[in-house]
Amino acid sequence: MSHENITVVKVRDVLLVTMPPDPDDTTISALQTEAIEAMERHRARGLVLDISAVETLDSFFARTVAETTRMIALMGGQTIVAGMHPSVAITAVQLGLTLGSAQTVLSVDRALDRLAAAPPRR
Amino acid sequence: MALPSLGEMSIGSEMDIVTARKAVREVATALGFGLTDVTRAVTAASELARNIYTFAGQGVMHWRILNGPSGAGLELTFEDHGPGIPDVELALQPGYTTSKGMGMGLPGSQRLMDELEIHSVVGQGTTVVVRKWRKK
Repeated sequence: MSHENITVVKVRDVLLVTMPPDPDDTTISALQTEAIEAMERHRARGLVLDISAVETLDSFFARTVAETTRMIALMGGQTIVAGMHPSVAITAVQLGLTLGSAQTVLSVDRALDRLAAAPPRR
Repeated sequence: MALPSLGEMSIGSEMDIVTARKAVREVATALGFGLTDVTRAVTAASELARNIYTFAGQGVMHWRILNGPSGAGLELTFEDHGPGIPDVELALQPGYTTSKGMGMGLPGSQRLMDELEIHSVVGQGTTVVVRKWRKK
């Protein structure tokens, strides 16, 4: 069985990645590599990770998001995670997961607003 | 819907973790669990299946529908013949890890499920049993 593909879309100077409902480890790892490569390629000011379709957020996924956020921060960008379901949020808190220094917002719209308001990347 | 009351699947690859999640989601949903309890059970299954893959390489997940005095429940058993856990008490402490993980898998699964039991013998393997009961 092959893993689902990660597509990094550039919207103005921001990268947008939409996660599938039930991503496997390979897909999640691909997110990290492709996002940081796209950061350099597009000189983006940040990454918006749309998880509004995601049904399961486990410790591997959370750790990868936290690590990716740190990598993007080192490159001078911001990471915003958008659209977490209530059931996923409840489960993440009980499991003890955090997303590191990633910001979280309710929707992709709000993530784009926040990045647009952020000071431009040097 | 005709749902078999028990089943099993082998865990030996990353894809099997996804398949285990799908199986648990299907059974828990068919049992009438609410969305949050489905998510809790699926997430615990993901952690425990990944433990098998990471520490033992190979193992089995069994699932079984229970009819307890207070209603229906779901029992998941994760069995491997891996290295075993030398100190189960320690492994249940949040943040304790022997891998590059966050040490959330076992204690977190305990919080997500209603019951968790671990039987482990060093050099022989580990069996983790978790149960979740349907809320009335």
